[in-house]
Amino acid sequence: MGTVHARSLEPLPSSGPDFGGLGEEAEFVEVEPEAKQEILENKDVVVQHVHFDGLGRTKDDIIICEIGDVFKAKNLIEVMRKSHEAREKLLRLGIFRQVDVLIDTCQGDDALPNGLDVTFEVTELRRLTGSYNTMVGNNEGSMVLGLKLPNLLGRAEKVTFQFSYGTKETSYGLSFFKPRPGNFERNFSVNLYKVTGQFPWSSLRETDRGMSAEYSFPIWKTSHTVKWEGVWRELGCLSRTASFAVRKESGHSLKSSLSHAMVIDSRNSSILPRRGALLKVNQVELAGYTGGDVSFIKEDFELQLNKQLIFDSVFSASFWGGMLVPIGDKPSSIADRFYLGGPTSIRGFSMHSIGPQSEGDYLGGEAYWAGGLHLYTPLPFRPGQGGFGELFRTHFFLNAGNLCNLNYGEGPKAHIRKLAECIRWSYGAGIVLRLGNIARLELNYCVPMGVQTGDRICDGVQFGAGIRFL
Amino acid sequence: MSLVAEAFVSQIAAAEPWPENATLYQQLKGEQILLSDNAASLAVQAFLQMCNLPIKVVCRANAEYMSPSGKVPFIHVGNQVVSELGPIVQFVKAKGHSLSDGLEEVQKAEMKAYMELVNNMLLTAELYLQWCDEATVGEVLEDVDQCCQALSQRLGTQPYFFNKQPTELDALVFGHLYTILTTQLTNDELSEKVKNYSNLLAFCRRIEQHYFEDRGKGRLS
Repeated sequence: MGTVHARSLEPLPSSGPDFGGLGEEAEFVEVEPEAKQEILENKDVVVQHVHFDGLGRTKDDIIICEIGDVFKAKNLIEVMRKSHEAREKLLRLGIFRQVDVLIDTCQGDDALPNGLDVTFEVTELRRLTGSYNTMVGNNEGSMVLGLKLPNLLGRAEKVTFQFSYGTKETSYGLSFFKPRPGNFERNFSVNLYKVTGQFPWSSLRETDRGMSAEYSFPIWKTSHTVKWEGVWRELGCLSRTASFAVRKESGHSLKSSLSHAMVIDSRNSSILPRRGALLKVNQVELAGYTGGDVSFIKEDFELQLNKQLIFDSVFSASFWGGMLVPIGDKPSSIADRFYLGGPTSIRGFSMHSIGPQSEGDYLGGEAYWAGGLHLYTPLPFRPGQGGFGELFRTHFFLNAGNLCNLNYGEGPKAHIRKLAECIRWSYGAGIVLRLGNIARLELNYCVPMGVQTGDRICDGVQFGAGIRFL
Repeated sequence: MSLVAEAFVSQIAAAEPWPENATLYQQLKGEQILLSDNAASLAVQAFLQMCNLPIKVVCRANAEYMSPSGKVPFIHVGNQVVSELGPIVQFVKAKGHSLSDGLEEVQKAEMKAYMELVNNMLLTAELYLQWCDEATVGEVLEDVDQCCQALSQRLGTQPYFFNKQPTELDALVFGHLYTILTTQLTNDELSEKVKNYSNLLAFCRRIEQHYFEDRGKGRLS
């Protein structure tokens, strides 16, 4: 018998934690036709058995939940579609390295004339995978060790551990993730971490030791996450010449916060989307309710809209904003405030170098907004079409925003007026390179405008790398 | 900053006059500050009062983390931050105020020796008492007694250690003795030892009256 290769349908949007997006590549499903050449498309079939080959430590109940729909298929096209969807769901669990689907007619005593057997051939991931990297950065070298234990107890639980040992700082993180069987979008995770950061724009060094517990669940098309986080923060001056305003923030503090975040994401890719919209709203409410010695309520949102235009170009608009309101009479901490400026935020300005500052150290602000308009086009003359050249885009942009401290005694009209005066903005053009589905690099020529005294600019060529760009 | 750059900056700072808003930072009184830190802070306050330089005292819970050397007290004068009595005396001298300029070389050496004595004996005793509280306390008290005896003999019947004018040694001794006499501890033996020397008691009372009460600062808590 010959084999027929069928081109598959569009994949589901990726949302699992370990899913490295397959993009728009085609998948193949093997189908073996019957001895008689019939038109199979609309013939009624019944899926009698679904087999699994290659299960080891994975427990049955989570598998059954993912493939339940396959039994409901009524004709061959539906069987192919449903088994493809089941394959995507199994891969999303993050416990299999490979999943192959085989559809065959039923053999055996209880076989119906139109019965089908679907077989999933799976290869489980190894119990322990590790990675080891060395990194060299700003006057510091470090070695990074990563360990991952996928599918720890058979129900797609995952434990990851990362340890970074550097010449200056050491940091680590341990995280446990467990999805709900049958409902992967409902999951919870617990994290333990110690991270250190150096922020030369504020002459500040910060060490955070903390733990967090979060629970995610979907409601209709939105994804919600509820999180509790407890952090012991230690702030210090990065150099002897730090300004006194930063010196006053040195010391230890404890933050215990409850937060809720909501995400609606209909984009087709998170790095260089062609269409769709993203709305992300993050509300944080703090201390006095769960302990700790910082007390505030903080709100943060991010909106992005993309539209495809003629000639393969994409128009994108984004808008970010946030506000931090301290509760009680203690002023807000420099570690909680917002920062603005840089190659991933308002281009043309130095990293986080907009807004309130003291002796050259940027202190952040309690309220901000930022917006961007972008036009992405393919490279002129389309070099390397279909291959390497597809990863690049030319990019024209207009960014604007403001960061300041509000006087909370006044009303909303006064706040809006304060945020609307002294707007910084910039425009320019450049090239964007997409790195897989994870990150992007940009090289832009920027012209900053509306610069206020105290801001530090980076006019001319600016390079940026990151995940989240304005 | 390199050593050369630091020296350069302090030369520039030296040219500026003492500002009105100079501030001294220490930990919170009552619930946070330790015996030895309280003594150090009082010594600096007494010294600045003796130099006639206005200073405002601010208590902050994170004072020791704010300090560039990790030790309290520290003063914030103009753009400069200086911590501990020794460097503060140097800093104030660079600005043209000094208490020990009138002394001869021999007397200056003697003053330094007595300051070392106080730091070795009294400071160690305070540190010991605030962290341990055990059987070897007998030896510590012996040392304190010897130190007080030496100080008492040097002071004699003079108002200050170097006759008429107070120096940084007077400020240092005042800081330590006053703290020992007035802080409530589980063990009163330390303050009893100091109370044996009536001229030291009178000395503390005199400095308190002259430099703290008379200036309208009210009694030291």
